[in-house]
Amino acid sequence: MTTSTPAPDTTRPVTTASDRRADLPPRREHASRSSVWFTLLRHHLRLLRGGATAWILALTGISVGVVATFEDRYTTQAELDAFADLEGVPAFEAMLGRLVGLNTLEGGVLSRWGMFGILAAVWGMFAAVRLLRGAEEVGHLEQLRAGAITPRALLSSVVAALLATHLVLAVAIGVTHSAAGMDPATAWALGGAAGLLTACFAAAGTLASQLVSTRRRAVGIVGAALGISLGLRLIAAAGGTPDWVWWTTPLGWLGFLHEIDAAQLTVLGAYAVLLVVLLAAAFVLAHRDLHAGFLGSSDDTPRGAVRPIRGQASLARRLTLASSRTWGAVIGLLALTFGLLARDFSEAVADLPTMVELADAVGWLAIDTAEGIVAYTFTIIALLLAVFAVGQAVAIREEEASWRIEHLMVRPLSRTTWLATRIVHSLAAMVALALVAGVGAWAGTAIVGTPVSFVDALAAGLNTVSVAWLAFGLGIALVGVVPRLTAPLSYGLVLAAYLLDFVGGMLELPEAVLELSPFAHLASVPVVEMNLTATGVSLAVAALGIVVGLVAFRRRDLQEA
Amino acid sequence: MASTKVPVVRFDETTKKFGSLVALDRLSLDIDQGEIVGLLGPNGAGKTTTLRTLLGLMRPTSGRALINGVAAWDDPVTALAQVAYIPGDVAVWPQLTGGQILDLLGGVSGGIDEGYREQLIERFAFDPSKKGRSYSKGNRQKIAVIAALSTRAPLLVMDEPTSGLDPLMEATFQACLREAKQRGQTILLSSHILSEVEAVCDRVAVLRQGVLVEHGTLADLRHLHAHTVEATYVGTPPQLEGIPGVQDVQIADGAIRLQVAGSTDALIKALAAAEVPSIQLREPSLDELFHAYYEDDATERASA
Repeated sequence: MTTSTPAPDTTRPVTTASDRRADLPPRREHASRSSVWFTLLRHHLRLLRGGATAWILALTGISVGVVATFEDRYTTQAELDAFADLEGVPAFEAMLGRLVGLNTLEGGVLSRWGMFGILAAVWGMFAAVRLLRGAEEVGHLEQLRAGAITPRALLSSVVAALLATHLVLAVAIGVTHSAAGMDPATAWALGGAAGLLTACFAAAGTLASQLVSTRRRAVGIVGAALGISLGLRLIAAAGGTPDWVWWTTPLGWLGFLHEIDAAQLTVLGAYAVLLVVLLAAAFVLAHRDLHAGFLGSSDDTPRGAVRPIRGQASLARRLTLASSRTWGAVIGLLALTFGLLARDFSEAVADLPTMVELADAVGWLAIDTAEGIVAYTFTIIALLLAVFAVGQAVAIREEEASWRIEHLMVRPLSRTTWLATRIVHSLAAMVALALVAGVGAWAGTAIVGTPVSFVDALAAGLNTVSVAWLAFGLGIALVGVVPRLTAPLSYGLVLAAYLLDFVGGMLELPEAVLELSPFAHLASVPVVEMNLTATGVSLAVAALGIVVGLVAFRRRDLQEA
Repeated sequence: MASTKVPVVRFDETTKKFGSLVALDRLSLDIDQGEIVGLLGPNGAGKTTTLRTLLGLMRPTSGRALINGVAAWDDPVTALAQVAYIPGDVAVWPQLTGGQILDLLGGVSGGIDEGYREQLIERFAFDPSKKGRSYSKGNRQKIAVIAALSTRAPLLVMDEPTSGLDPLMEATFQACLREAKQRGQTILLSSHILSEVEAVCDRVAVLRQGVLVEHGTLADLRHLHAHTVEATYVGTPPQLEGIPGVQDVQIADGAIRLQVAGSTDALIKALAAAEVPSIQLREPSLDELFHAYYEDDATERASA
């Protein structure tokens, strides 16, 4: 038997508030503000690490590929001069930005950044919105804001992490491009400009994340800003527009980086000023309620009649439609723009036989005809559709990762039915988007009076469906087999396949390796007929992926994020 | 026709492993129609895994989890047609309104009692016109509660259903549970709120580290456990050494407090030998019962 004092609880003396205070453990020393800030910086860097590495490798890789292969591609002075004839041609400057010194290595590389710059802007924008509004929307920022840190200091830690990744991009480009033989001053100016351009769009994403209360709307705002920048570049490219119009759009500034213009510091300065202005605005607006946006939200007052959602098919339709509309608008407008430019493009190229031969060699057939330009357009549309397709697979996974799927799976609904319903809607959306692109390209060419036949344009659209379905099929297989890796693996596969096709040719990789990319098998419809064998193989692999996904999803545990 | 009644819920040696971790270890438990069973246990004991395995969200590593004789893993459409589930952590579609989500869940459930749903929306003071993203945790919980109850499913499965609800709404929820009980619905409820379990459950199952350690009516459980004895004495303290079943004895300032398990006969005789003006024998509250389980668990974890 054991006896013990103290007395039972009832006899315990009453404690006073001051006694209790004295009982508290000594107050933990406050972590210094800077240590909290650096902890957050490390946290955000960790979140950015994977994506940033992929983007930096991809952007630096494709660009340095251009540097490394430039001399092999343009071996004679005649070829270089032919390339230089593109300077001032509106259709080309609309696509690539202001073209200068194309008969030099630097000019050739800088011209590609008219396209690469758009990719960098997209990266900057998505990374910032994901880390800020995205994290806030799903509740991750709440705990961080509850820490010993002000909202603006928290924002500054995110911005610092983002800028660090852009700095790495700048240095990577500077080092690799000068090592590969580019003029060092231009190489570092390009690196700086690429980093700053990415930073500017990240800053726009940062600002948009303060303005609106959802990730989707924030992306919409920056996407619109990117669209306007591209539109201004189109205006600047049009014949007869004064040169200063290029300065109205950050996508135009890259065109002044060639040493011929002696404006490298001005360009870097312009980006720096834009960056500071955008960030300052974001910081002003950052001291606000959690989950609120400066522009308010319409969450409380859904306007008009709310459309009923009566079942899972109705839900699948609603969720698929939401993203399809945006993508449809982007893809349709892109196809329309290329259609509008098709005549100018083809006519300009018709005077440059070397150019036509070069394009022919990399598989862009007959680009001296409107059909050829439309066919080229659809190589880009195919990539966008494949990205959309993968996005659909990732969205399906997201229903499970967010655990919303639990609501449906605890009701009398089989997993196979649920997944199959989502799959059918997504497949249909891809066909619809391909047709929208076809109609857009047809309308564009018809407006400028060099119509590609309506049937040909639709065929060009439908030709891309097999690649999109293939990407989607692989995505669904990943959803079934390795759900948590769906997003990185599927996006990675699409990017790798496209880069293999895009850069592989320049790097003169063996044919067997190049042919691994489904994009390499995409026929230049409407210049030539659809490649039925390749289409058949793609569809078969897509079907296999879907079956694997359905079976594996049926047989495994549901997995949260 | 054989009259062997199929239990509404049957866990038959159900085991669930995640890699080397055994989350659920040969759980066997039957629940008959109209019974209300509380599932208790500390965090990580395997309560949610138990429910998710039953609902077919996870596949048992071995054994079976059956609803009316059907495994939801094998045939969710049949098994889950009779079930409504309330999760403890409710995720909703941010872009849909509360009303749309309720319609959706009603549609997927295969039909609901619309009138009852309207009544529930009113009783839980839920505003279905807002977007999913703007709901607080409590309001998201209400969506799941309303969607589940409005199906009037014969079996209700709940995983800490009142987490996030305020005390008024908790009371409303308990009233709904009592109504469900009166209607003869079967309920399997995992909860940390012992008063909730005590108020509505007929039987309790206690999980610890994936093992069913205790199972029975509340009365059964109490009998299995030590009673608390509080007495006062005058003069010489009673001699309590060596009495079987007596433990945790505290003697001071004329007061005795101890625990006794099993027969109290020897203890009462020993106390009677001294001058004991007052004595109180109390069966353990559910709270005390579970503190005992939880503390054992914490001790084991600490020693591990």
